[in-house]
Amino acid sequence: MALVTAATLGALVVAMVCGLVIGPTPIATLRVVGDVFSHFGLGHSTLTPLQSEIIWQLRAPRMVLGLLAGAMLAVAGGTYQGVFRNPLADPYLLGVAAGAGLGATIAIVDVGGAVVTPSWTPILAFAGAMLAVAVTWAIGGRGLRSSTATLILAGVAVASLFTSAQTFLQQQSSTTSLARVYIWLLGSLASATWSSVTLVLPYVVVCVTVCVLAGRALDVMSVGENESRSLGLPVRRVRFVVIAASSLGTAAIVSAVGLIGFVGIIVPHIVRLLVGTSYRKILPISVIFGAAFLVFADTIARTVLAPSELPLGVVTAIIGAPVFVLILSLRRQTVS
Amino acid sequence: MNAVEVNELRVRAGSTSLINDVTLNVEAGTWCTVIGPNGAGKTTLVETVAGLRRSEHGAVSISGVSIGAMGERERALRVAVVPQHPVIPVGMSVRDYVSLGRIAYHGVLRSPSPLDRQTVESVLERLSLVEFALRDVSTLSGGERQRMVLARALAQATKVVILDEPITGLDLRHQITILELLQKEVHESGLTVLATMHDLTLAGQFADRLVLLDRGRVVLEGLSSEVVRSRELSECYGMELRVIDVDGADVVIPVRH
Repeated sequence: MALVTAATLGALVVAMVCGLVIGPTPIATLRVVGDVFSHFGLGHSTLTPLQSEIIWQLRAPRMVLGLLAGAMLAVAGGTYQGVFRNPLADPYLLGVAAGAGLGATIAIVDVGGAVVTPSWTPILAFAGAMLAVAVTWAIGGRGLRSSTATLILAGVAVASLFTSAQTFLQQQSSTTSLARVYIWLLGSLASATWSSVTLVLPYVVVCVTVCVLAGRALDVMSVGENESRSLGLPVRRVRFVVIAASSLGTAAIVSAVGLIGFVGIIVPHIVRLLVGTSYRKILPISVIFGAAFLVFADTIARTVLAPSELPLGVVTAIIGAPVFVLILSLRRQTVS
Repeated sequence: MNAVEVNELRVRAGSTSLINDVTLNVEAGTWCTVIGPNGAGKTTLVETVAGLRRSEHGAVSISGVSIGAMGERERALRVAVVPQHPVIPVGMSVRDYVSLGRIAYHGVLRSPSPLDRQTVESVLERLSLVEFALRDVSTLSGGERQRMVLARALAQATKVVILDEPITGLDLRHQITILELLQKEVHESGLTVLATMHDLTLAGQFADRLVLLDRGRVVLEGLSSEVVRSRELSECYGMELRVIDVDGADVVIPVRH
């Protein structure tokens, strides 16, 4: 465990440095690191004002937003997998993605010449995501009496409904706005600013903390709902708190960066292969691993085809799938 | 004093009546086993007594406190449950699994206290599970697994333990091992046991009292030796049952015609 924690923290530091150093404008690593230290009163910066602007106004907020998004999506995925006892669960299971997608589409498309305004995209995406989860929760067994199976089914139904509405709007809109919707749906950190970081930071801090603290409860829930209750766990209350925290944090992130797939489902699985099945270990390591993973992925997304960018969701899948398969096969060899 | 009191309990599933006006008392420090054919309502009854099912009517109390008035934590401090089909979480060690029995004491936000750890180690030792403590629970045999589930229940350190078919699927040696472990807890620690069982011979040999249940109703309740020799037992199972005495122990044998 200590080795995995150290290695993951090392990867996080490397990812952060890459996120600041790598880009179309080459800036020497040591000068960037020196500039970072100078902000803490250690030494002097040797960057030009333009280079400093690139680092602090373009790359740093993007890197920090990547950290927050990766951490939140990974821990939310791990939490969902624990609470639903389902390895295929991801943070979008209860309709967050479909709701955010519909909200963003309403903001972006120009149906019948009427445009809400693209600047409303994060707000409507957040509202759509929370609305979808709320409807799912209301349908999936009337709140605290719901079971995980009915919640999942309600999530599927609500997601289908919201996605259909989104598809209808897209079909009615112009090609230009349709392209913008697709770009948003594929997820990107390109529009990251310090204000977007400030906006999502409180949600992520609170929600990640709640999810990580739920690790022991999720370990108990691995024996099923009835047994957990007989062991003294207030299952329904725990489930409500954990789902609320995961969904709220995910909605905040999705509203800022769009739909980034794969992180929420694959990172907890990779971490599980490394540290075992206890959520007390999986969740905190997923926070670090997810953060590092997404910053790495974003660095690749914005550099390989510079000046244009690859969709972040595509990169997370391209990197994540082989890494997962590699770890899985290494583990199988070790076991055999 | 009664450790378990059930009064006029009624349980329904939709329009189907599962338990009908069942009244039952289990004296503290004794062992009561519910017997009866498949579909008699044994599991429903013990699940309701454990607070895991809602009743339509009637009252259940554990050590004088109504089960309905207890939250999950308080219930777990008073009654432990060994389910018929326990969920075995792959990847968890035996020690961690048994430690789940202490969750009601330390909660989910705090680590186990020295007393919690001490209790778990003591239970592992009593049930000869120390050598398996670090093993993945999914690698255990059926008998070892059942001992582990019993260990989790005993780690809860409750006065009452409810067991639903605790020996189903085990070979004879493991059946006796599990039942003797339980009997030792009853005699030495004053544990109260409410169990369900299919094996009438073992049920009669280990329980102080038997409750014969059929179609959700108590047909007969009494000392084990009386119930296994009763006419009602054969009637409930719809076949002739003969009881023979082997070194002072009643052995129930079905007769084929």
